[in-house]
Amino acid sequence: MAKTYQEINEKIARGEAVVVTAEEVIDIVKERGVKEAAEYVDVVTTATFGPMCSSGAFLNFGHSDPPIRMGEITMNGVEAYGGLAAVDTYLGATQPSQDKGIEYGGAHVIHDLIAGKEVHLVAKSQGTDCYPRKELDTWVKLEDLNEAYLFNPRNVYQNYNAAINASSHRMYTYMGILQPNMGNITYSTSGELSPLLNDPLLKTIGMGTRIFFGGAQGHVSWMGTQFNTACPRDDKGYPQTPGATLALIGNMKEMNPKYIRGAVYEGYGTSMFVGVGIPIPILNEEIMAFVSVENKDLYTNVIDYSVPKKAKPSLKKVSYAELRSGSVDINGKIIKTSPLSSLKMAREIAEELTNWIKKGEFFLQEPIQSFPMGNAIKGLEIKEGESR
Amino acid sequence: MMTKKILLSFPQKATGQPMAMELIKTYHLDFNILKAYIDDNVKGTLLLEIKGEEADIEAGIVFLRQNQIGVKDIQSIVEVDEKKCVSCGACTAVCAVGALEMTDDWSLVHHDDKCLECLLCVKACPMRAIHAII
Repeated sequence: MAKTYQEINEKIARGEAVVVTAEEVIDIVKERGVKEAAEYVDVVTTATFGPMCSSGAFLNFGHSDPPIRMGEITMNGVEAYGGLAAVDTYLGATQPSQDKGIEYGGAHVIHDLIAGKEVHLVAKSQGTDCYPRKELDTWVKLEDLNEAYLFNPRNVYQNYNAAINASSHRMYTYMGILQPNMGNITYSTSGELSPLLNDPLLKTIGMGTRIFFGGAQGHVSWMGTQFNTACPRDDKGYPQTPGATLALIGNMKEMNPKYIRGAVYEGYGTSMFVGVGIPIPILNEEIMAFVSVENKDLYTNVIDYSVPKKAKPSLKKVSYAELRSGSVDINGKIIKTSPLSSLKMAREIAEELTNWIKKGEFFLQEPIQSFPMGNAIKGLEIKEGESR
Repeated sequence: MMTKKILLSFPQKATGQPMAMELIKTYHLDFNILKAYIDDNVKGTLLLEIKGEEADIEAGIVFLRQNQIGVKDIQSIVEVDEKKCVSCGACTAVCAVGALEMTDDWSLVHHDDKCLECLLCVKACPMRAIHAII
């Protein structure tokens, strides 16, 4: 028997909705079968908490007197974009600071703002007839700003490579430190709890989907960049390489600093840990079958990051159950595996989202537009010649 | 005979005196200096592995404390700040001896007795939650 978004929301309003996490639902489906479980469960919560570089904040500072058209902007020494209107900016998570470099970047400023700290704002301008001020040096808090919202162009990768290093030198990468001679493997996923792996064909997650975003209620605003729904899939439809991504939007003023954290990858740069939880409505048996997926059935490739090309070779296809076991056997060599995203925090987020829904504080939003399937990604061709 | 790892903190006024020599001469202790940071007339930190009779070690520690030197039993100079740690696991990727590992519920656990103080975890931690105390 199929359910509608409206029926589920009415159950949430009455406090009668059955809400479980994507880990808990696995046993429910094993005990009751897909058909009965689909009738019993209304919402399955998914979550992830990991490094998501393609993130940042749109901010509006309000006008000073006399006003300025901010051209060059720094916040705690981190450059923010000056190419928008007078006092609007976009602060990118990976932007390093001018004095501390990658140890303190845009993500750290965003975290500090959400934590309620004062941030040092410096701006310069040419000065115009309508915006005469040329310099500004002040301190701002999140509550002082007009608008402050995260708009992250590419978050919650549906699946991602595991990383290995077959060279003879240690590598410092966005996949952490990779020891030489295939000394270790790193991977980044919440696996069977991961949002987009539980909805592999994006039947319920689309533009407008309401989500847990950094502790606030945010939304999926668009398909994420490098959105790849033309990726290789298994016979059930689960991606086996990096697949779909999401662009997310949410109000920083409602966020919790616990779920948005600045991160540093030695020798690589600044990134941001983003906490995201996505509810999946159990509309029918097909969706219930999808969310009951287990780590043993989700696969990715162990990619050699030492090959300095776009197309890096895969040394082995492995399941997330193998990666989670602590080691993987590649050609007879037992190689230690380590996570990079926090499953502990992802579970906490899924629990919190579950509680919001059970308490009637969070309702499901049906997507106003679905995302395209079969969308492939393009590379960048380097064309010779200085002018055309 | 027993072996013990201790961290000594010298305040400014104790930096000019030959304390370690007293440990050998008066208390018959052997020691290895594992790490040392002594800025004469400012402050100093010394990580020692001391070897000797239990009573001598205790008496030596009393002597140091009488001279205003802080003495702390220690397993490893690596400390994990649990408030900053999010249990992502990035540090476990470089810990060859398993001093940093994930528990069954995917929390980070620090077995400081296994630590060889290579300090790669300090670099690997994205939250900068791991640091060396000297």
